[in-house]
Amino acid sequence: VRVVVDREACHGHARCNAASPEIYELDDVGYVAIRTADVPAGLEDQARRGALDCPERAISIVSDDEPG
Amino acid sequence: MDGALSRLAEAVCDRLLEIRLRAERRPQLTPKDESSAALTYETVEFDTYTGPKPALYFLDYVMGVAAEQEAQGHLGFKSSLGSEGFWVVTDGALIEEAHKRPDLFSSSSVVPLDPDPTEMLIPEMIDPPDHTKWRRILAPAFAPSRMKAMEPKIRALARQLIEGIAIKGHVDFVGEFGRVFPATIFLEFMGLPQEDLEMFNSWETAILHSPYQEGGEGAKAMYEAQRQVKEYFRELIATRRAEPKEDLVTLVLQAQGVDEDDLLSVCALLFQAGLDTVGAQLAYAMLHLATHDNDRRRLVAEPEITPLAVEELLRAYPIILNGRKLTRDAEFAGCPMKTGDTVLLPIVLANRKHDEFNRGDEVVLDRSPNRHFSFGVGPHRCLGAHLARIEMNAALEEWHRIIPEYHVEADHQPVEHGSMLGLDVLKLTWDSSV
Repeated sequence: VRVVVDREACHGHARCNAASPEIYELDDVGYVAIRTADVPAGLEDQARRGALDCPERAISIVSDDEPG
Repeated sequence: MDGALSRLAEAVCDRLLEIRLRAERRPQLTPKDESSAALTYETVEFDTYTGPKPALYFLDYVMGVAAEQEAQGHLGFKSSLGSEGFWVVTDGALIEEAHKRPDLFSSSSVVPLDPDPTEMLIPEMIDPPDHTKWRRILAPAFAPSRMKAMEPKIRALARQLIEGIAIKGHVDFVGEFGRVFPATIFLEFMGLPQEDLEMFNSWETAILHSPYQEGGEGAKAMYEAQRQVKEYFRELIATRRAEPKEDLVTLVLQAQGVDEDDLLSVCALLFQAGLDTVGAQLAYAMLHLATHDNDRRRLVAEPEITPLAVEELLRAYPIILNGRKLTRDAEFAGCPMKTGDTVLLPIVLANRKHDEFNRGDEVVLDRSPNRHFSFGVGPHRCLGAHLARIEMNAALEEWHRIIPEYHVEADHQPVEHGSMLGLDVLKLTWDSSV
């Protein structure tokens, strides 16, 4: 499972980081700093919650067997 | 930096701005069912301004009117209030969409009854692209890491205030905690002396809580306090210009192309946003917990759910009814909106009525996921959200550790005001001998 972030849609709520600081790193001013990341085993629920909490719907969860 | 480099940096900034702008303009959603969105609306009187009212009156009122409109297949309606009236969007997904489309819904008016305000608060009432530049200047001062560094002081302050309150056995939460706690942190944040707290609180009361009536005593007190606040910040700006510090005023002074009036406007906004909002949200949270024994006892027994409980209480009791102003004619929410019309976008309807929320009208303390809009959505997302969350978490956690059992004083009816919602008084009581 991977997360894909639309950084242009991010407005710095930082809810993703609250759900999963390991996956959703922030830049210096609190906007999500990654474009994509592989989700380590065991963190799938956190990753999903981070995506679902985003008010801007800026994060998608992509299964490994789906095209990116 | 030499000329070529700085030109390159400028070009990169412009390019980033352009990308962000395009994102802001991109339509996010279309009405869920085109046919039901055919122009169908009615005009009703809709008043979320006149108070005081018994606590939670406005929540019930907004939810009730929205339910009536929904039953008739409407996504929005027109309020007859004010000389021109204003639109009210009741559909949660469309409220969200409107916030994400500053090209159509301008922030040049955020109070529908006041379509042409005399003062443009920065950055709240500025539209992109200028808004984007302002946010870039201000963002470092509100970065999560910087706010996090303030947490130990914030928590210590919460503990100190609540311990002082605990021995009394009763409190007006609004007056003795809600107005003191955030204001003290605001002074710290702005690098101002704590001795100014009382003065700030008296200005805040005059500006935000005067019984408003054109030409009346309340209005006079409000204008006088506004003048004094400006004077105070004018002096502060002069002091920081002469002697820079590591604070917000210095940060803005060092940005290019900012004049003193702009900076004063930023300070005026921060004064309003920083002093009143957290206290108001906390008062609704405490009213809920004082009147819902299961939720209160759960928060005491499971303090680790406090961060989720903060989000859920924000979702259930948002204090903001956002306004916007149309930049062009458009059909939206089934309403024929015209250039210059004002629109009310009640956040509570997006939070409680959005399709994604099961049992949206219930408070589920550990609700997760919880995609709410109480700090806004789109480019005007609350700049102070990270600070507000730390303050609310510290206050609720410390309170329930120190005063686990409490209730609303017998025979006391908490009272609220409209416009930006808030409680005027919330009397709580507990057994201080245990």
